[in-house]
Amino acid sequence: MKFRYLTVLSLAVALLLSACGKKDADIQKAVQDKLAADNVTGVSASVKDGVATLTGEVADQTVKSKAENSAKGVDGVKSVTNNITLRPLPQATPAAPDPALTGKITENLKKAGCTGATVEVVNGKVTIKGSVPEAKYVECIQVVNQSGTTGIDNQLQKSK
Amino acid sequence: MSAQEKYQSLLELANQNGTTYELSEGDNGTLVVNGTAPSAEAKQQLWDEYNRLDPDFRSGDLVLNISTSADAAGGGVHTYTVESGDNLSKIAGKYGISWKAIWDSNRDILKDPDKIYPGQELKIPV
Repeated sequence: MKFRYLTVLSLAVALLLSACGKKDADIQKAVQDKLAADNVTGVSASVKDGVATLTGEVADQTVKSKAENSAKGVDGVKSVTNNITLRPLPQATPAAPDPALTGKITENLKKAGCTGATVEVVNGKVTIKGSVPEAKYVECIQVVNQSGTTGIDNQLQKSK
Repeated sequence: MSAQEKYQSLLELANQNGTTYELSEGDNGTLVVNGTAPSAEAKQQLWDEYNRLDPDFRSGDLVLNISTSADAAGGGVHTYTVESGDNLSKIAGKYGISWKAIWDSNRDILKDPDKIYPGQELKIPV
């Protein structure tokens, strides 16, 4: 009697295990298909016991989280371990040498009506000082952001 | 937290509203986002999000360089038409930049920095 129970039990366990194993492979395939469908490249997925593990190297934080969300949405995935790493970003280069950037920003600030703001560019990094009317503030900051600089020290004040 | 993590919602918004961008790293870990938004509204959304994440833009960890497609079509890159008697140094002098900067921007159309011809359109990196 005891033996029969054990046999049945071990058969059941074996069946369950093999079922799980097969299922993992199916889920893994589904996750990979989903990543491909969502245009996530450079990421590999493996699934064990319903846990999807993502690995690879991507350039952008949003791709990393997009991959995780894609995997989470796949039927049968219990949880996702996100081991995707971010590739170091390329070094930004200033659009022009410091004196040219200073001249360009000063001119564009003037055009935007940001009188009262002064800029200085050192190694591509802009320091903006002075004060502009509150209503102009965002526009003046936009001018600096759109000038091809590689860093900003914003000390600009708002005046009423 | 890296700047990319801090500004993740901004980048996601860009993905959603059709803004294309490239990321690079500027001064001291600054995240530099160079991109083009499909409309002025899309650009405004990004700036609103920037202002929400970094009130008044004080942190100095992001350069948000987004132009709109319309800006780009309207000559976002400055061009200069070569006149008789010009040379790269002379043109560079008008912009306060070095002749090498113009040379570097126009290697696709120039073969020799000493040979430019009237009527040629040079990209000016300012």
